[in-house]
Amino acid sequence: MAGRERIFGICAWCIRTETAQRLTVLSVAAILTCFPLFSGAQKLELRQTHIEMDWQGQKRAEMLMQIFLVVSAVVAFGLGYLMRDFRLMMLIYAGGVVLTAFITVPNWPFFNHHPLKWLDPSEAEKHPKPQVSNITSSSSSKKKASKNK
Amino acid sequence: MIHAEVVDRIGLMGLTLTSREREEREMHSAVQRANALATIAAILLATICAAASFLDAFNSPSLQAHVQVVKINRFRRQLDGNDEVKMTLKMSMDLTSLFTWNTKQVFVFLAAEYETDTNSLNQVSLWDHIVQEKDHASFQVKVPTKYPLIDQGTNLRGKKVGLVLHWHIMPISGRMIQGKMPLSDFSLPDSYTTRS
Repeated sequence: MAGRERIFGICAWCIRTETAQRLTVLSVAAILTCFPLFSGAQKLELRQTHIEMDWQGQKRAEMLMQIFLVVSAVVAFGLGYLMRDFRLMMLIYAGGVVLTAFITVPNWPFFNHHPLKWLDPSEAEKHPKPQVSNITSSSSSKKKASKNK
Repeated sequence: MIHAEVVDRIGLMGLTLTSREREEREMHSAVQRANALATIAAILLATICAAASFLDAFNSPSLQAHVQVVKINRFRRQLDGNDEVKMTLKMSMDLTSLFTWNTKQVFVFLAAEYETDTNSLNQVSLWDHIVQEKDHASFQVKVPTKYPLIDQGTNLRGKKVGLVLHWHIMPISGRMIQGKMPLSDFSLPDSYTTRS
């Protein structure tokens, strides 16, 4: 059967090819399967809503990323120094980076526990765009522009 | 103008943020997070490689080596006027203390050093070897010289030549470390010899 042959071929490929090739292909496959979780700021036309993070989740993700990366670097250096193996240090660090990427980069649901409440489009129409007077708008935009600098 | 409108619009949408918070916060996407991760990972990688290289400086090597000239195979004057010496050397050395966890290979060569009227120092490499594993770093060889000792001129008759062992430690990350150790001297014969 074609299906069974294909599965057998995939298993044979996994055993025969080198570790680096395997890792790259598996990571690309992982990214493609988690693709819906990356659609943070872009709107997919097929969906009404898209999976994203909230403010608390974003802060948490940034903090987790920094902590995980520094810890994996320290652990990698320490173990490599103790074991006197440079390659071991590189492998541990690479594993730490991949783990951090897996946890931090996609928009996992646990980053979205305080979701943002967006206004319903029908509600937005009931409140028309406010007509800001020229004096207040120019002063507030000037204030904001100077603060941004 | 545009910023004020956006700020007011967000206020209508039910988010209770003060105006200061509105300016400081900004939602980012997964791609931006991946970019930040790649940058921080690269910086930390450079840091751990630099730390590994830095710790190499505290390694004070203590190696032993001994060389002895077994015989002079040929000592003649070449057709273009330069002296040429080929000899057999018996060497034993222990380079294991040069290797750290951050060492890729050690290049070791034996140089013959002598002084002439025109040059205050002549250095000619007689033999070299690349050691890639710590296990292979201690060895004894009795071997004819890989490269002949060729002079710039005809100054070698009766010359006192010193043998110096040089090594270059090539680390996996960091700067190459050089070192040398003078070994025994020997004197060349006073006249040219034919092949014995």
